[in-house]
Amino acid sequence: MNERWSRQSFLGAESEQVLGNAIIGIVGLCGGGSHIAQQSAHVGVGNFVCADYDHVDESNLPRMVGSRPEDAKELISKTAVIKRTIHLVNPTANVMLVEGQWYAQERFFRNCTAIFGCVDNFAARDELERFCRRYLIPYIDVGMDVHEVSNGFSISGQVITSLPGGPCMRCLGFITDAKLAEEQRRYGAAGGRPQVVWPNGVLASIAVGQMVGLLRPWNRDLKPSVMIEYDGNRQICRESTKLLYLADKPCSHFSGPDAVGDPFYSADNNNRGQTAISR
Amino acid sequence: MKISFRITRAMLARVHADLSRPHAFAAERVAFLSCGAAALHDDGLLLLAEAHHPVADEHYIDDPRVGATIGSAAFRTVLQIAYNRPISVFHIHRYEHIGVPRFSPIDLRESTRFVPDFFKVRPERPHGVLVFSHDALSGLCWYPGRKTPVPITEVSVVGYVTPTRWGTA
Repeated sequence: MNERWSRQSFLGAESEQVLGNAIIGIVGLCGGGSHIAQQSAHVGVGNFVCADYDHVDESNLPRMVGSRPEDAKELISKTAVIKRTIHLVNPTANVMLVEGQWYAQERFFRNCTAIFGCVDNFAARDELERFCRRYLIPYIDVGMDVHEVSNGFSISGQVITSLPGGPCMRCLGFITDAKLAEEQRRYGAAGGRPQVVWPNGVLASIAVGQMVGLLRPWNRDLKPSVMIEYDGNRQICRESTKLLYLADKPCSHFSGPDAVGDPFYSADNNNRGQTAISR
Repeated sequence: MKISFRITRAMLARVHADLSRPHAFAAERVAFLSCGAAALHDDGLLLLAEAHHPVADEHYIDDPRVGATIGSAAFRTVLQIAYNRPISVFHIHRYEHIGVPRFSPIDLRESTRFVPDFFKVRPERPHGVLVFSHDALSGLCWYPGRKTPVPITEVSVVGYVTPTRWGTA
């Protein structure tokens, strides 16, 4: 094993190859996504598909790993900053950038080994999970929030690992039609929501651990939890108690006929792919 | 053309459980997998295992020359599914060893006989054959408009604990 990876040799002799061949999708590249990109590069992931429609601004600098004041001044895209961050760690990584909405270039995500969702609304999470279920891709969702409470503020968050066939975000009650409807009703009224670097870092680290655990389990009994909740006031993480009620219950939301693959697939249109992308 | 095959660990376990069942006279079992299909950005093809379709006991034919022979009723059953829904059909069986399996001459000869029937009901979809071992698989995919099959070059098992030997033919 290469000296570079000697301290993570417990991941197995093939870990360098497995992680080097992995293709990681990251949607949302600011708070959580920037940590995930950097850590994935450090751990040896060799291929990235990174999507964000935004550029860096001053309010991103306190939490976006790798961003610099001049990026905000020059309105550098978040994708460009992430590419630079990854290449600082792993210059040979293949970094594919989607500058815009991820679903506009969704074909590039179909071949991902895992996709991280670092988005800030339920509708986007719902879209990502639906996509991942259709193409049998593990989806790892990262989210945090800060709420005002009577004695100050409460920081909370979660990491959900949604695997095809396993409990989904609807099974967990994390996404419901009512939440989606309420979000749609309040669309545009929320404004900038509080975000800080350390909860993002905690949650992103757990998410990267989930991904590595899937690809290179380091313990025979390792079974990463489907939902880990973060109490940012007490600085603790724990498995969600919702899982007690879901044990061995199959997911009913993404099953049945025509649940996988392109529903309109035909060999005639197999090679009509998307082309607008920067590397 | 790069062809990738993806299956969940749970479905893979169901496949192996089914293929492990003894039969009254057949030395091995065969089955079918229905798959979804999707284009990849690089002109590749992604096959996604959707459902496992065991062959009924009574659809086997007693033929001691080979491990298993199935009759037209078995094929009619899976063709009916493909007629009703847009799926790719893959015939599957297993060799009782570990390591990457290879198709036998009989596998190759027979598959060129029955795979064309899959195109009669779903001409727009790719179809093919898969052979499993206990820890690997190989696959051949017939693509619409191409006469010779293309090997499946990448296999992914999605779920907890990724074994090290799932690979390519």
